[in-house]
Amino acid sequence: MILRRENLQTWKVAGLCISAIALLFLLILGAGASPMEAAVKLWDSAFGNPLKFSNTLKETTPLLLAGLAVYIALKAGLFNIGVEGQITIGALCTAVVALRFPGILGIVLGSLAGMAGGALWALPAGWLKAYRGGHEVISTIMLNNIASGLTLALVAGPLKDPSQEGTTTRDLAGNTLLPNIIDSNKWQLNLALPIAIALLVLFSIWLKKSVAGYELRMVGANPQASEFAGIDVKKSIMKAMLASGAVAGFTGAVLVLAFEHRFFHGMSSGFGFDALGVAMLAGATPLAMLGSGLLFGVLNKGSSAIQILGIPKGITWIVLALLIIVFAAIRYRKEGSHE
Amino acid sequence: MPPALKMDGISRRFGAVQALDKVDFSVEKGEIHALVGENGAGKTTLMRILYGSEIADSGVIELEGNAVQFHMAADGIAAGIGMVSQHYSIIPELSCLENLMLGAEPAWLIQKDEAKVRADSLAVQMNFAFDWDQHAEHLSPSGAQKLEILKLLWRNARIMVLDEPTAMLSPSDSDALFASLKLLAQSGATVIVVTHRIPEVLEHCDRVTVLRGGKVVQALPVAGSTASQLAELIIGKTVDLTPRTASTKFGSVTLSCENLTVKGYRGDQAVKNVSFLVRSGEILGIAGVDGSGQRELFWSLIGRLKRESGSIEFNGKEIAKNSVAERLEMGFRLIPEDRHGEGVVDEWPLEENAAIGLQRQPSLCNGLWIDQANRKEMATSMVARFDTKHGGLEKPISGLSGGNQQRFVAARALSTEPKVILAFQPARGLDIEATRQVYEAIGLECVKGACAIVVSYDLDELLDNCDRVVAMNRGKLFEPTIGLERDRKTIGELMVASE
Repeated sequence: MILRRENLQTWKVAGLCISAIALLFLLILGAGASPMEAAVKLWDSAFGNPLKFSNTLKETTPLLLAGLAVYIALKAGLFNIGVEGQITIGALCTAVVALRFPGILGIVLGSLAGMAGGALWALPAGWLKAYRGGHEVISTIMLNNIASGLTLALVAGPLKDPSQEGTTTRDLAGNTLLPNIIDSNKWQLNLALPIAIALLVLFSIWLKKSVAGYELRMVGANPQASEFAGIDVKKSIMKAMLASGAVAGFTGAVLVLAFEHRFFHGMSSGFGFDALGVAMLAGATPLAMLGSGLLFGVLNKGSSAIQILGIPKGITWIVLALLIIVFAAIRYRKEGSHE
Repeated sequence: MPPALKMDGISRRFGAVQALDKVDFSVEKGEIHALVGENGAGKTTLMRILYGSEIADSGVIELEGNAVQFHMAADGIAAGIGMVSQHYSIIPELSCLENLMLGAEPAWLIQKDEAKVRADSLAVQMNFAFDWDQHAEHLSPSGAQKLEILKLLWRNARIMVLDEPTAMLSPSDSDALFASLKLLAQSGATVIVVTHRIPEVLEHCDRVTVLRGGKVVQALPVAGSTASQLAELIIGKTVDLTPRTASTKFGSVTLSCENLTVKGYRGDQAVKNVSFLVRSGEILGIAGVDGSGQRELFWSLIGRLKRESGSIEFNGKEIAKNSVAERLEMGFRLIPEDRHGEGVVDEWPLEENAAIGLQRQPSLCNGLWIDQANRKEMATSMVARFDTKHGGLEKPISGLSGGNQQRFVAARALSTEPKVILAFQPARGLDIEATRQVYEAIGLECVKGACAIVVSYDLDELLDNCDRVVAMNRGKLFEPTIGLERDRKTIGELMVASE
């Protein structure tokens, strides 16, 4: 009987995915374009040639890291909507430190500073949740706004590059950057991608096989049972939120050290929110984020390309939102009764 | 005269399981009819079909000779069938009157005074008394049940089904309940009691139908049948109903509480100045009606709830300040009251559920990592211990029946040489055979030097299986005088005695 239910679920997932795609086609038709043409264009913009593919991978890298940040919190039963803010704070901290200490030292210290900044920004939300029962969704949304305002003030004021018009810091020195491991005319691949993949793999093993990973999952799945199993649930929530914030901060560090080489206002452009989708689509297997991260990367890149066909950029968001709702509806469907 | 209720050839299949197989069930007007059987025998399904909340694949239902067809619970209610389920549906925030009317309000606008007149007349008919404006949260378990019965009368139910009605009641409350049911039956109502307590059937019921494996084994008058005969019909083989012999060889004091006071979740003192001790080798039973402080006592013994004052000593050492984790390491093991909420992760496979609470035991964890092979081995022996039926260790525990989940959780608590076994209704949802097995296994651990504290709302279960039984009553613990540790009458009185 269990087996049958699982099969049913697979069918439902497949069916709903197909309906989501069908709806996308209708939307594209509604926008006055040909769905086939749009699909070809989307594919081409993401995978058309090595350079385009390299760019897609570049877009995917922070999504993987930010997805991991969301995922860690999610496993402890926390919905960290604050990843965007934690990325921003982390990125700023990294930029400040890396500007101060050039070279390898700057890369290492900058990354650490980014992680510390991200964790610090997650701390109030974790504390409120664990010890005061404040809902993390509300507090992290608030913290996002504060992060945005605070970094803008800093980068428009004391940290501003005086030679620039915009709200940006100076550029990092050339030796303070995360290097490209492949850098030809055709292919470009930054060290950050293998780092992100390695982190995902390590986390995946840790989550499945370590005692602490087991306890983290228990806290997320049944906090009351966790208390009786000797786990300090409040501490676990704090730890999970801090770890989530640290990984988000590291995402910001990667943005600065690998891709942007400076901090400027609005540089994260919503990675923290896309990451919610990346993590949720992955479901029970963290390594599935490799797939969901790439999907978001492709759609982010491709949505700019299909704008040429007169299709609004937001259309890909609609698809993603639909997918997430569908997956969430299936996954979190509660059985009516147990006994 | 046709019987009040006649169900003919009722069958119902759930997937691969034939829950009911051509069941014939008939009840005369004015009788108290017991429906007995093990878990999974089909009692609940049959009653749900009668009530309309489940639809039979085949079969006919007749009420006083007229065939009826129910498609939903509302149909059953309209035809005069009412059900009190094991878990009461009283809403604590509403007044007793509001609860009484809920879902069956006489009109759009509630005329409170008119409603009260009818409510009172129903209560008088049953010899009950209610303060209708009082919030239902103040009701005792037996009060809540009385209100549930009045709810059925309010809906003009003529056939009443009560599912395990005495599960939460003290012996004297149980007797009072059956006295009211007799009144009802005499007034022409028909009462069906679903129960697993054989003494109750023998003492209070007129006829009994025994279900086993979805089939009717026999329907017989209660007069002239015996406990062992009924038990044999229920299980399908001869059973030994003799209680476990109480042990008398005890070791040193393992666990003791001195003037323990614990605050409950509402801020009141749920455990008041409780003192007791358990010796190595001993099974101590704690009797009492639901909500007498057993839960808070257990929570503070395992370390989940801080005590307000008093001491808890383990092997002579004060442990009241130790965390749950530390107590688990000392060898405390819990069979929790609420399996879903406190004992398992529903969506996890059995293999992962096997480690809950044991995840930091040296046998399971080598340094930072869980020893996957050992965990599998442990899960395998846990399911084997009480014959847990499952579809594979990698399948989620939610796929198991309640009884099988309980077997698994009990086996887990007894798996790693426990020193103090805290068992809250360890036999919940278990059949006679499995209940015996679980208590035997607890006894075995005690012979090896552990001690056990068992809470149950079923006094007979405790008397049959524990070496000594005490009673909790409104947060206080009462010990019977020496020599009467297993005396039913004495302990039954302690459960309800007023101060």
